[in-house]
Amino acid sequence: MESPAALSTPPWNVERPFLTGRFHQEVKGTSRLAHDSLSVGSGKAIGCYDAGVQELIVIDDILSALVGIEGRYISITRIRGKEDEVSFQVDASMDLALQEMVKRIFPLCQSFLLISQFVESRSQFKNGLVNHSFTAALRELLLDYQAMVAQLEHQFRLGRLSIQGLWFYCQPLMVSMQALSVVIQKASTSNSTGSALLNLLQSQAKAMAGDNAVRSLLERMTQRANNAYLGILERWVYEGVIDDPYGEFFIKENKSLLKESLTQDNDAKFWRERYSLKDGIPSFLANIAGTILTTGKYLNVMRECGHTVQVPMSENSTFMSFGANHHYLECIKAAYDFTSGELLSLIKEQYDLMGKLRSIKHYLLLDQGDFLVHFMDIARDELNKKLEEISVEKLQSLLDLALRTTAAASDPCHEDLTCCVERSSLLKKLCDLELHATVSDGKGSEELVNITGLETFSLSYKVQWPLSIVVSRKALTKYQLIFRFLFHCKHVERQLCGAWQMHQGVRALNSRGTAISRSSLLCRSMLKFINSLLHYLTFEVLEPNWHVMYTKLQAAKSIDEVIQHHDYFLERCLRECLLLLPELLKKMERLKILCLQYSAAAQWLISSSLDIPKLGESSDNLHRTIKSKPGKSRGPSEGLMFATKNVTVTDSILKFEKDFNTELQSLALILSNNAQKEPYITHLAQWIIGVGSSS
Amino acid sequence: MPREIITLQVGQCGNQIGMEFWKQLCLEHGISKEGILEDFATQGGDRKDVFFYQADDQHYIPRALLIDLEPRVINGIQNSEYRNLYNHENIFVSDHGGGAGNNWASGYHQGKGVEEDIMDMIDREADGSDSLEGFVLCHSIAGGTGSGMGSYLLETLNDRYSKKLVQTYSVFPNQMETSDVVVQPYNSLLTLKRLTLNADCVVVLDNTALNRIAVERLHLSNPTFAQTNSLVSTVMSASTTTLRYPGYMNNDLVGLLASLIPTPRCHFLMTGYTPLTVERQANVIRKTTVLDVMRRLLQTKNIMVSSYARNKEASQAKYISILNIIQGEVDPTQVHESLQRIRERKLVNFIEWGPASIQVALSRKSPYVQTAHRVSGLMLASHTSIRHLFSKCLNQYEKLRKKQAFLDNYRKFPMFADNDLSEFDESRDIIESLVDEYKACESPDYIKWGMEDPDNVLTGEGNATGTVDPKLAV
Repeated sequence: MESPAALSTPPWNVERPFLTGRFHQEVKGTSRLAHDSLSVGSGKAIGCYDAGVQELIVIDDILSALVGIEGRYISITRIRGKEDEVSFQVDASMDLALQEMVKRIFPLCQSFLLISQFVESRSQFKNGLVNHSFTAALRELLLDYQAMVAQLEHQFRLGRLSIQGLWFYCQPLMVSMQALSVVIQKASTSNSTGSALLNLLQSQAKAMAGDNAVRSLLERMTQRANNAYLGILERWVYEGVIDDPYGEFFIKENKSLLKESLTQDNDAKFWRERYSLKDGIPSFLANIAGTILTTGKYLNVMRECGHTVQVPMSENSTFMSFGANHHYLECIKAAYDFTSGELLSLIKEQYDLMGKLRSIKHYLLLDQGDFLVHFMDIARDELNKKLEEISVEKLQSLLDLALRTTAAASDPCHEDLTCCVERSSLLKKLCDLELHATVSDGKGSEELVNITGLETFSLSYKVQWPLSIVVSRKALTKYQLIFRFLFHCKHVERQLCGAWQMHQGVRALNSRGTAISRSSLLCRSMLKFINSLLHYLTFEVLEPNWHVMYTKLQAAKSIDEVIQHHDYFLERCLRECLLLLPELLKKMERLKILCLQYSAAAQWLISSSLDIPKLGESSDNLHRTIKSKPGKSRGPSEGLMFATKNVTVTDSILKFEKDFNTELQSLALILSNNAQKEPYITHLAQWIIGVGSSS
Repeated sequence: MPREIITLQVGQCGNQIGMEFWKQLCLEHGISKEGILEDFATQGGDRKDVFFYQADDQHYIPRALLIDLEPRVINGIQNSEYRNLYNHENIFVSDHGGGAGNNWASGYHQGKGVEEDIMDMIDREADGSDSLEGFVLCHSIAGGTGSGMGSYLLETLNDRYSKKLVQTYSVFPNQMETSDVVVQPYNSLLTLKRLTLNADCVVVLDNTALNRIAVERLHLSNPTFAQTNSLVSTVMSASTTTLRYPGYMNNDLVGLLASLIPTPRCHFLMTGYTPLTVERQANVIRKTTVLDVMRRLLQTKNIMVSSYARNKEASQAKYISILNIIQGEVDPTQVHESLQRIRERKLVNFIEWGPASIQVALSRKSPYVQTAHRVSGLMLASHTSIRHLFSKCLNQYEKLRKKQAFLDNYRKFPMFADNDLSEFDESRDIIESLVDEYKACESPDYIKWGMEDPDNVLTGEGNATGTVDPKLAV
């Protein structure tokens, strides 16, 4: 527990033992000699004197022993190996009645010795402030005690003190000194410092609750010892400063964690670990330790923001008036309320947290999706490139352009939006983040081969301190995961819209009963699928959850509550967006890939089925086809051509249709299997499978 | 300025509803009658650029072309307080100013004559936009200019801007009262052909229903044109809110339409709007929750297309797709519950051959327009009962055609010269096949529709059911 900052006791303090009370130990060897020589020298055993004289001699000796000095017939021995235990012996020849009396007083002498020795040894710098203040209190006590001994001696000199008198005067002290020495013994065997000592004192005071005098003494001691500790606490709670040279405080600061790390670190360690609780919280603070930690933490945040905030102090807000009335609890509570309110309003008002969150919602959750439409228009070519060929700079400038020319332009926060291209697909990323139980089906490597910007594009948002407390890297990553999922869905939707438009282009032909009409219905099914998915994601997941979070944030009382609601919101969105359900997500990806393949093929499908009627009617006008039923008015050879060509087209459309329906059905199966567990899956199933779930 | 939309308002009716539409847009975006942004309109987040562009002096100009063959309505606009809003280069009134005489053929023919002028205007507007998304045409199908010239423009746009979307807001004539335009059935039929073949999406605004709504819902004993037109402008502006106030989805026209339109030809949409109010009308303010709004939108009395179906047929009619655009202060958690409720109560009859459900788009409301209701909703739906409207048009046409009435007016024009009335027959066939397709949509076997031909390869797939409604075979 020795803090490096602890000063060491100057050597002379130890080298010259008689300056301190420690001589009892140092002179142990000689003392016995001295005693022997003394007893020999004085020649007489005490038994030689008559009882009256014996009493006088013994009183004199006891008065010395009471301050830890051996007398002529009372010797002090130390038990080898046990430094703290001393025993007092009395000359065996002494009158038995006196001996009995003297032995009764010995425990007091022992206690004094122990206590004074404890005071000596514990006053050293390295033992920390709690020990210092405790020993100071003890020293005061000892002074009183010594004063009493001096008075007794005075009485003795005046000849007014009998051994009974001495015993009478010692008695009241006896119990409390003994109780103290028990405490001290415990403290020195466990070598307690800081809060451990405080706990020890408190528990001892409680254990002695029956004895009023002892209890109040111990409580006084506790309070004195607490004072130093409360001083540290006060600075922390009122100023956010850890003034703790000996490492006694129960909060530690990890200076290696910088606030900048919030924007990079995936675990948001800064907030959790920059200040943390250590072991050994004083038991009287145990219940409120969390509050104490956050109070100081908030103060520190505000200081980091360049706002020096001092909790307003009033007369009775000082902790020193510690007592059994738990006044300190109220003080801490008041300080906490003040700081959390202050910080919350700082972050909400001055740093406009809600505005930022709203803006993140506009862009990362596509709540104002028009910029994305434009961005996808202009960045189509760049996004279609392979990963290595994509220029992030170019994407960024296109993004800026898209933002400037759409509704986003009026949002001052739009400049914080940056784009990035991730290295891996969404599924892989989720595995990497260990949000999925790693399902290794050997697909990982294959996936990477033909991955384009469309699968890996993501937006990012520059979040500055102190908002990064709420929107940390971790939170932002979650936003990004959701964004990437939405973005890809939007991409699929766009491609399908393109396919839809192609079908619109051949409206003038009577497509009844041809592959085209089949294809347009398939296109509708796919569009319905992706639209339902998007609908579910946005109107069933993001918007309601955001709404709930927003109301909660309005009512939040502290920044931790804000963080908690925000994290809960993200966690819930991730879950309900299926991102934590690899099985479902894979199915969705599969369906989306089918949609993409279909829309890529749509151009070819339509143009090749268009060729047919054109061949069939070379010179005739278009309207004949409209009137005539396909396949009937044609000559045999044309019909054959139509047939062969149409077979491939129709086959591929039917194959798409079959694949799509199979996947959709297996998705339905997964959904219904999971629907029991999670209500939101039922919602999704209602959207996607819906009414009339087709063949 | 991406995904712009150019509005073409053709003919008397087209210009009237167009003007109402622009009035409404100006109100919603906080643009003054002169096109200048009002001082209070500082709340951004809306997209003015889809429908407007800014002149050098920053005032907003609608991407609109005002086209008519007679000057009355356009002169009215030019003398109104909105005269400075429009780009005067975008106003086209034919030189002779004689109109089309309610004759489709005349309108079409004149359209051909002035094609170059109008296309110049369209090209100029198109060049002025970054990535044009498409065109919106406002017209009526009964008269001469809107229908005839509108038809010609549709064909030309389809040809020239084949990659762009064309959406129309087409006003169908009031079937309940005898029109002063006796050739209305001819005009309607000929226009319907173009709407079927040359438009990507037609929002059907049935004057019959608009009148009925004005009388029954708004308690106006004798609704004026201005009042029914304000209904139209409400629908038009509401159906574009997702483009103007971007949200999660439907931020471009193609996404909006693709989710609604199942097959290339079945692109006729019905609309419904609630709660409806008309200016200066002290309406009872109702409580509006999402469920209320959605439920009311499904009620036929709120739908702006009249139902001409007989009872039996009406019960077979099905929704193909529905998009509810909900505006206002909505608690998003209500949406799911409301949909759930509607599903449980089976309030909607959907097609059986494919997945279908109500889609919802939540959209912001303009902060500058004060409304008494907290929530309002627009429904855009593709519903098979629309076929009865077309059947009605066909019937009226057949009646007239049988009598060979009023055909002389048409024969004067090249398309029908030499008594060549094949255009009528063709149009009739197309509308008939459209009706058939919608009818087929009501059957659960629609996917196999038209594939019963034994020559056709696809029949192999369809053998499982084999029970194709014999009526479906043409």
